[in-house]
Amino acid sequence: MQSQQSNVQVMGIDAGGTMTDTFFVRADGRFVVGKAQSNPGDESLAIYNSSVDALAHWDREVDDVYPELVTCVYSGTAMLNRILMRKGLDVGLICNRGFEQIHSMGRALQSYLGYALEDRIHLNTHRYDEPLVPVSRTRGVTERTDVQGKIVIPLREHEVIQATRELVEAGSQAIVICLLQSHKNELSEQRARDLVKAELTRLKVDIPVFASVDYYPSRKESHRMNTTILEAYGAEPSRQTLKKVSDRFKKHGAKFDLRVMATHGGTISWKAKELARTIVSGPIGGVIGSKLLGEYLGDENIACSDIGGTSFDVALITKGSFAIKSDPDMARLVLSLPLVAMDSVGAGAGSFVRLDPYSKSIKLGPDSAGYRVGTCWPESGLDTVSVSDCHVVLGYLNPNNFLGGAIKLDVQRARDHIKAQIADPLGLSVEDAAAGVIELLDLTLSEYLRANISAKGYNPAEFTCFSYGGAGPVHTYGYTEGVGFKDVVVPAWAAGFSAFGCACADFEYRYDKSVDLGVAQFASDEQKAAACTTLQEAWEELATKVIDEFVINGYQPEDVLLIPGYKMQYMGQLNDLEIVSPVTRAATAADWQQIIESFENTYGRVYANSARSPELGFSVTGAILRGMVVTQKPVLPEDADAGPTPPKEAYLGTRPFYRHKKWVEAALWKMESLKAGNHIVGPAIIESDATTFVVPDGFETTIDKHRLFHLKEVK
Amino acid sequence: MSYTNEQVAHLVEGSLDWETTFRMLSMPKDNSRFEQYVAALQAKVSFKDRIVLPLAPHMYIVQSAKTKQWLIKCDCGHEFCDYKENWKLHAAIYVRDTEEAMTEVYPKLMAPDTQWQVYREYYCPTCGTLHDVEAPTPWYPVIHDFEPDIEAFYKEWVHLPVPERVD
Repeated sequence: MQSQQSNVQVMGIDAGGTMTDTFFVRADGRFVVGKAQSNPGDESLAIYNSSVDALAHWDREVDDVYPELVTCVYSGTAMLNRILMRKGLDVGLICNRGFEQIHSMGRALQSYLGYALEDRIHLNTHRYDEPLVPVSRTRGVTERTDVQGKIVIPLREHEVIQATRELVEAGSQAIVICLLQSHKNELSEQRARDLVKAELTRLKVDIPVFASVDYYPSRKESHRMNTTILEAYGAEPSRQTLKKVSDRFKKHGAKFDLRVMATHGGTISWKAKELARTIVSGPIGGVIGSKLLGEYLGDENIACSDIGGTSFDVALITKGSFAIKSDPDMARLVLSLPLVAMDSVGAGAGSFVRLDPYSKSIKLGPDSAGYRVGTCWPESGLDTVSVSDCHVVLGYLNPNNFLGGAIKLDVQRARDHIKAQIADPLGLSVEDAAAGVIELLDLTLSEYLRANISAKGYNPAEFTCFSYGGAGPVHTYGYTEGVGFKDVVVPAWAAGFSAFGCACADFEYRYDKSVDLGVAQFASDEQKAAACTTLQEAWEELATKVIDEFVINGYQPEDVLLIPGYKMQYMGQLNDLEIVSPVTRAATAADWQQIIESFENTYGRVYANSARSPELGFSVTGAILRGMVVTQKPVLPEDADAGPTPPKEAYLGTRPFYRHKKWVEAALWKMESLKAGNHIVGPAIIESDATTFVVPDGFETTIDKHRLFHLKEVK
Repeated sequence: MSYTNEQVAHLVEGSLDWETTFRMLSMPKDNSRFEQYVAALQAKVSFKDRIVLPLAPHMYIVQSAKTKQWLIKCDCGHEFCDYKENWKLHAAIYVRDTEEAMTEVYPKLMAPDTQWQVYREYYCPTCGTLHDVEAPTPWYPVIHDFEPDIEAFYKEWVHLPVPERVD
């Protein structure tokens, strides 16, 4: 074990459905990964156990390390599960009269969100989930604001008071108010909010009130309503979970303030007002981590690929920044939250493999074995072949060292199932059938990756591919072969990469607001200045919210670095682009000129210079404000070059390995024992407890000073 | 993919959990489903005759236990006719051909004009189960819904021996 001269500074947590990963980084860049079974009843306990597991590698105790930590970021699926299981608060909803059924009906696309294409086009499978708020706890009030924001029918105030009484009577634990077009004109909704609060005080009922304008003032009514309801429904219970986690940390001497990974790619405090945006966080961590690694390596363009048991997630970083999607869907709900843009395909290392009984073609997924691995694990209770079974049979995975030997895999059992289900019906040997499955998966993934890059108008040769996730390194060669990336990088901590990435994220709040501005190409200076004023007002409104959040955590307004941004499009076009503003304040026609230039440059880069259409005029569709404060981030290890020859103690022997219709002896290496500069030529398999890195014949890899493996095809 | 008899019985009852239902819908049909499905139906009816093919939610083509003739039969045991005949001609029929009768099932002005379209409802004469509704033009003959080729279905589709039949 290494000495203890270096403090442990950063901790990342990825509390998944099955496993809770923790990731600790010391000041010298050394890191450890810990794993423990998740505990939905008390997440804090799983985090504690996982920490104990991780710190054991350094012979250190939790009580001794927690007080040293400077920063800690949590990401998890608890909030998402709470929504999926419909275990949130009993929320009451006030909306416009005549629109009481809207939330229950939902958007039609919510009936097939998350489905594979085959099911999406198969109408019988479409299904509406139970609404978060039943009609019985929904009240309509007479009011109408038109699309231009003009109040056409004033709010009937007595109806709001009546609705409040009825909702309290019906047992509401929170009240959400969402009126049509309130993002255009907030007056009616704010008035309704004040009336509800006054009535609650009069009734001596202490329940929270959520008006959509205070939280997510964005266009798209279903999105705004869903998101505000989500906040009321799931955020408060999640806050309790996070408080429990924070309390346990404090009990063990922690001095840091727990932060949570949020959908926009920053981290926010567990005390934040808006917690709905923590609904999805795990996969985002990987993108943030890739961005940081890219900065270390000097790579501006990165294809992030994360392969887990059930899905393959791809995100692109271009010119050092990732894209944000502003109306994503999660938990089968359309939402208005900024989310780091990612594309997923439902094929992963644990996908089930079946033969179509009619066409005899191999079908992967869409369901998967998940934590049950496959038929190779006798205790799994599974009898359908999974991709992992094929890997075990072909020698990719070590049956005695799966998850560090935590479970033993039965190769013969997997062989028998592959033979009966795949090989025999196809008239193939077990090896060829299994190899066919792997090839099909690799092809699916590499086509998906390639399509994702070229569909956005980029060339893979300009990109470095980062491959991570528990199963990533097994497949890296397969899905990158022939794509033509500039470089392919596999971090030694691939399995804990999401947790690492969370720890890399800034302490950053981001607020969005819809605005509607249209300015012609040759508008007068007065018109341009007026547009700037509107944008500036929106930024100032958002700045107040951002600073308020930091004040909760004890920061001074002057500690906060504010970064304004906007969404812009050519007038009449459908897609906007998100731009970091070149000006910190917008006031004059000259400011406006800079604002549109910045947009036009980005447009030219994303699409093509020749596609620019300034003659259409410019629309600003949204104002964005990000605010951040300085935090401690993980540092990467810097090892001395130990030369190309791996040390003897890293060599573990050989294992038969099947690829391209023949068995070869692959050299086995222990990942932890390899040193910076070591060069390994395939066929080789590099193993660690949490992951297996496959380097087949025709490939070679070098480990660099940051413990990143670079995979190359041998020409 | 295969399912237990219990799951198929839940499917028949409409009480199968959504996850399993979804898997059934999105995966290719399992080989033994027809046999299991018919067995689940058979367990629900009180008569001894063997169900050959379900025709409607409460109606089957059965093989008469006594004569081996194939008959169309209701849940309740009421026998309509031979399986080749149109059972509707043996049912109790109610025709909604006045505005008054239409407003019993639809709000006023939201039902068809009975000069153009009528509803013909076919009931079991014994238990009163509504087996089918037609919505034709008033003069249209009684529709014979379908005449299944049971022999081909058993032999070529589900690969089962065809039940014995005496005509």
